[in-house]
Amino acid sequence: MSVAVQPSQKRTSFKRLAFNVACILICTVMLAPLLMSLSASLKSPSEANLVPPTYLPSVYSLANYAKVFNYQVGLVTYVWNSLAAAGLSIAMCLMLSVPAGYGLARYNFRFKEAWFLFLVATMMLPFQALLIPLYLMFAKIGLANSHIGLALVHTVIQLPFSIYIMRNSFEGVPKEIEDASYVDGCRSFTSLRRVMLPLVMPGVVTVALFAFINSWNEFLAALIFLNNEKAFTVPILLVSVRTGIQGAVDWGALQAGVMLSVVPCIAIYLLLQRYYVSGLLSGAVK
Amino acid sequence: MSLTHRPSTGFAYLLPAIAFTAVFVLYPLLQLVYFSMTDKSLMGGGGYIGIANYVRAFNDKAFWQALRFTLLYTAFLTPLLMGLGFLLALLTMRNSPLPKLTRGIIFLPVVIGLGSSSLLWFWLFDQQVGLVNRLLVDLHIIAQPLAWFTAVGTGFMAICFSITWKVVGFAMILFVAALQSIGQEMEEAAIIDGASYWQRVWRIFIPLSRRTLLMATLISAIGSMLAFDQFYIMTGGGPRGQTFTTVYFVYQNSFVFFKLGYGAALSIILAAIILAGSTLQVWLSRRSAGS
Amino acid sequence: MKSFTVSNLMKCGLAGAALALFSASAKADDINIWARSSAANAVNHMADLWNTTHKDKIAVTVIPDNQMVTKLATSVTAGDVPDLISFDLIYMPDFMKAGYLIDLTKELSADPNQAKVAKAFRELGTFEGKIYGTGFTPDVSILLYNKGLFKKAGLDPEKPPTTLAELKDDAAKIHALGPDIYGYYFSGNCGGCNIFTVAPMMWGSGAHLLPANGQDKALDGPGVKEVLQTFQDMWKGGMVPASAQADTGANFQATFETGKIGMQGSGGFAIAALKDKHPEIDFGIAYLPGIKAENASSFVGGDVIAVPKGSKHADIAKAFIAWELTDDAQLNGLAKNNILPSRTDLADNQFFKAEPRYVTTAKAVGIGQTPWVFHFNDMVNSDSSPWLQMLQTAIFDGKVDDAIAAARESLKSIASN
Repeated sequence: MSVAVQPSQKRTSFKRLAFNVACILICTVMLAPLLMSLSASLKSPSEANLVPPTYLPSVYSLANYAKVFNYQVGLVTYVWNSLAAAGLSIAMCLMLSVPAGYGLARYNFRFKEAWFLFLVATMMLPFQALLIPLYLMFAKIGLANSHIGLALVHTVIQLPFSIYIMRNSFEGVPKEIEDASYVDGCRSFTSLRRVMLPLVMPGVVTVALFAFINSWNEFLAALIFLNNEKAFTVPILLVSVRTGIQGAVDWGALQAGVMLSVVPCIAIYLLLQRYYVSGLLSGAVK
Repeated sequence: MSLTHRPSTGFAYLLPAIAFTAVFVLYPLLQLVYFSMTDKSLMGGGGYIGIANYVRAFNDKAFWQALRFTLLYTAFLTPLLMGLGFLLALLTMRNSPLPKLTRGIIFLPVVIGLGSSSLLWFWLFDQQVGLVNRLLVDLHIIAQPLAWFTAVGTGFMAICFSITWKVVGFAMILFVAALQSIGQEMEEAAIIDGASYWQRVWRIFIPLSRRTLLMATLISAIGSMLAFDQFYIMTGGGPRGQTFTTVYFVYQNSFVFFKLGYGAALSIILAAIILAGSTLQVWLSRRSAGS
Repeated sequence: MKSFTVSNLMKCGLAGAALALFSASAKADDINIWARSSAANAVNHMADLWNTTHKDKIAVTVIPDNQMVTKLATSVTAGDVPDLISFDLIYMPDFMKAGYLIDLTKELSADPNQAKVAKAFRELGTFEGKIYGTGFTPDVSILLYNKGLFKKAGLDPEKPPTTLAELKDDAAKIHALGPDIYGYYFSGNCGGCNIFTVAPMMWGSGAHLLPANGQDKALDGPGVKEVLQTFQDMWKGGMVPASAQADTGANFQATFETGKIGMQGSGGFAIAALKDKHPEIDFGIAYLPGIKAENASSFVGGDVIAVPKGSKHADIAKAFIAWELTDDAQLNGLAKNNILPSRTDLADNQFFKAEPRYVTTAKAVGIGQTPWVFHFNDMVNSDSSPWLQMLQTAIFDGKVDDAIAAARESLKSIASN
C-alpha cells in the first residue's frame, strides 16, 4: 500500500516544487527590470552615467529626482496637468462607452454589428496619422492648447477598446436580473443606472484603468496640442529633462523619469486589482 | 417588456459614441484622404495631384522595405506572444495564492506605458551603460559588451524581448479567463478516461479557448502592424534604415520631412492593409468554425 | 463600495474639467518663448535677466530638441504660435522660405549691434534680402583633447594636431598606451553630432557638402574622401571604441568624461561641464583640423531668435531681440554664465579672460561655416539620413567611394524637391 502511494506522492511533490520554482523564476524575470531602474534612479548622477555600469548604487542619492522635480515650472504642475487630461479622458470614455456597450449588448437593431465595427475600427488606424488633421481642426475651434482638447484626442484612442470591454461586460450579466428589474417597473435608463451599472463595475474599472494609463503616458499628441510650458504634461517633461546637447542622455534623470511615470500606474493597478482583473476575466472572453 | 426593448432605444444609447466617432475620427479621416491626394506640406503649399502619392508609394523602395519589416515583425512576434501567453495561462490558471501572485506580477508590465518600457529597455540594452551586457559579461556568456542596435538581428531580438516582457501578461489574462470558464467537469472526465496533461491541453483546453485565441491573435497582430514607439526609442530606424516600421515611416514623412500629403497616402494604404488582413482572418476563422 | 467608485469617477471627471479650465488660461502680460531643451539653460539665464529689469515678463517653454521643428511647423500652420521662438539656426532657410517668420529688416538693419553679430547668424537669418532673425545662444564645434593622455603618449600637450594626418598619428600613439585607451571618439549613429564635428574637417579642406538646390554640387571637392578615409583607418586600427558605432549621441559627452579618450570633436558647451563634473581631466581646446594646417574650421551653430507670424506680442518680442544684442545682455546673460556671445566683438571679454579655452572657442567662430540649405532635417538630422548612412557605410563598412556616391545622389534628390 505504502509502496503504491509513495512514487505518486514523490511525483506530485516534485511537480509542485518545479511549479513553485517556475513561478518564482518568472516573477523575478518580470520584476527585475523595474527594480534595476529603481536602483539606478537612486544613484548619483555621475554614477548613473558610469561605463561599465554598477548593479546597485554605491551611494544612495535623490539628486536625479531633485532634477526632475525642479525642472522648469516644477514637477507638481506637470502632474496636475497630466491628471487633468487623464481625468477628463476617463470621464469621456465612460460617458460614451457605458451606454454604447449597454445598447450593443442588450438591444437588437438594424446594422448593429456594422455600427459596432464602425466604432471599433479606429483601432486599425495609426492614430499618429490623425493627429495633424485633428490639431488643425482644434486650432480652428479654439480647442488647441487646452487639456479638454488633449483629453478628446486621448478618448479617440481609447474609445474602441472601452466600447469592446463594456459590451462584453454587459453581455456577461444574466438576462434574468435585468428582466426582473423591468417587472419591478424600472424603465430602461433607470435599470441601467441602478441595476446594471453596479454589476458591470469590473468592466467600468478596467476601462478607467486603461484610459488612465493611456492618457498618463501619451507623448506625441500632448506635445503637438499643448503650447505652453505651464500646460505641459509629464511625458513632455521627461523627454526634455533627460536630453542634453547633441542628444546626450542623462541616464539618472531618465531612470527617475521612468519611475515617476510607472509608479502611479502600478499604484492604481494594485489598488484596483481585484476589479479589473476580474473585469477582463468576465468581460473580454467572448 | 418588449416595449422597453425597442430597437430605437438601443440605437439611442449608441448615438453619443457614434456622434463622437463621426466628428473626431471619421471627419479627420476624410480630411486625411483629401490630403493624400494633394502634395500638402507642413511648410505650406500643396495642390491637388490626384493619385500621384499612391503611385509614388507603390514605387518607393523604402516604403516596401518598411512594410516587409513590419510584416516580418508581426509574423514573428504574434505566435511568440500567443504561445507564451497560453503557456503562462496554463501555469497560472488555478486560483491558489502563488499562481494568483504570479499572474499579477506577469501582468504588471502591461500597466506601465509603452514609452516608459521602451526607455527602460533602451537603457538596459545600451552598449555602454546597460545592465544586460554587464550581466552577460559577468556570466561569461559573451566576452565583450554587445552593441545590440547596430545589427538588425540583435536589435530585432532586443525589441522582441522587451515587447514580450511588456505585453505577454495581457494575452495570459485573456487565456486564463477562457480556461477558467471551461469548467471542471470536462477536465475531470478526461482525467478519468486516462488522458495525460498535454493530451488534455491539446484536446480540451485549446479547442475550447478557440474564440479567445483568435481574438487575442487579431488584436496582437493589429498592434504589431501599428508598432512605432519601441522602434523610435530603441533603434531610431537603424542600422541604415533597416528597422523602420510602416508607422515610423509615415511619421518620418509627415512629421520630419513635412510631407503631409505623402504621409497621409501611406497611412491610408497601411489602414487598408490592416483592414484586409483582419477581415481575412475573421472570415477564415468563421469558416473553419462552421466546418 | 461600488457606488463609491462610480461617484468617485464622476468627481474625478469634474475635477479634471475644473483643472483644465483653470490651467488653460495664462497671465495676460506674459510673453512666451519656445526654446530647445538643449538650449534651455542659456535661454533661462537670458529670460531671468530680462525679467529682473522689465515690466513685461517672458516665460520659457521648453520643447524637446528633435520635436522642435515639427512643433513649430504644425503650430504656424494652425495659427497657434508663441510670441518668440528660438531654434537651431540651420532650419532658418526652410522657415524663411515658408513665410513663417515676421520681417525684422527695419529694426535689425538700424541696430548697430546686429552688424557685430557672427557672420553665420547674419547669413542664416537673411532670405531674399530681408532679415528674419538673429543670433541668440550660439555654439561652435572644436576639438577636445586630453592633455594628460597626450603627455603619457609622449606628445606635446600644447601642440594638438593641425592636420588629418597628425590627428591619425596622435590617435595611434594614444591607443598604444593600452587596450582600453582610445585615440578618438565620435557618435557613430548620430547625424547631427557629426555634421557638427566631422563636416568642418571636410569643408575646411575645401569641400562643398550640402546642395542648396537641385543644381548645386553635393559632397564635392577635397576633404570628403580624405576625412572619411582617416576615420575609417582609425576605426580599423582600433583607435575608436566599438561602442562608437551604436551611439546615437546618448553618450556624446559621457565617453570623454571617462578619461580614456584622447581626442573628440565637441562643442563649447563641454568646457563648463568638464570643469564642473570632472576637474581631474586636464583638457585642451583646439580647432578641428583639415587636410592642411591652414584648413582648420568649425561649425558655427546654436540657436537663432525670431518672431513667428501671428505672434500676439510682436512689439515686445522685437524689444526683446533688440535687448539681447546689447552689451548688458550678451555679457551678463551669456558670457558670465560661460556661454558664447553671438557678437564677435565681445569674444574677448572680462569673463572669458579667466579661462583662455573660451577665447579659443570664441575665435573658432571666426573661422567657421554654417550650411545654408533647405530640408536640412531630411539630409542630415533625421534617422538614417543620407549624411549618416554615408558616414556609417564609409567608416564602419569600409566602402568609402560607394558611400559618397550613394549619399550624393540622395542629397541631390532631396534638394530638388
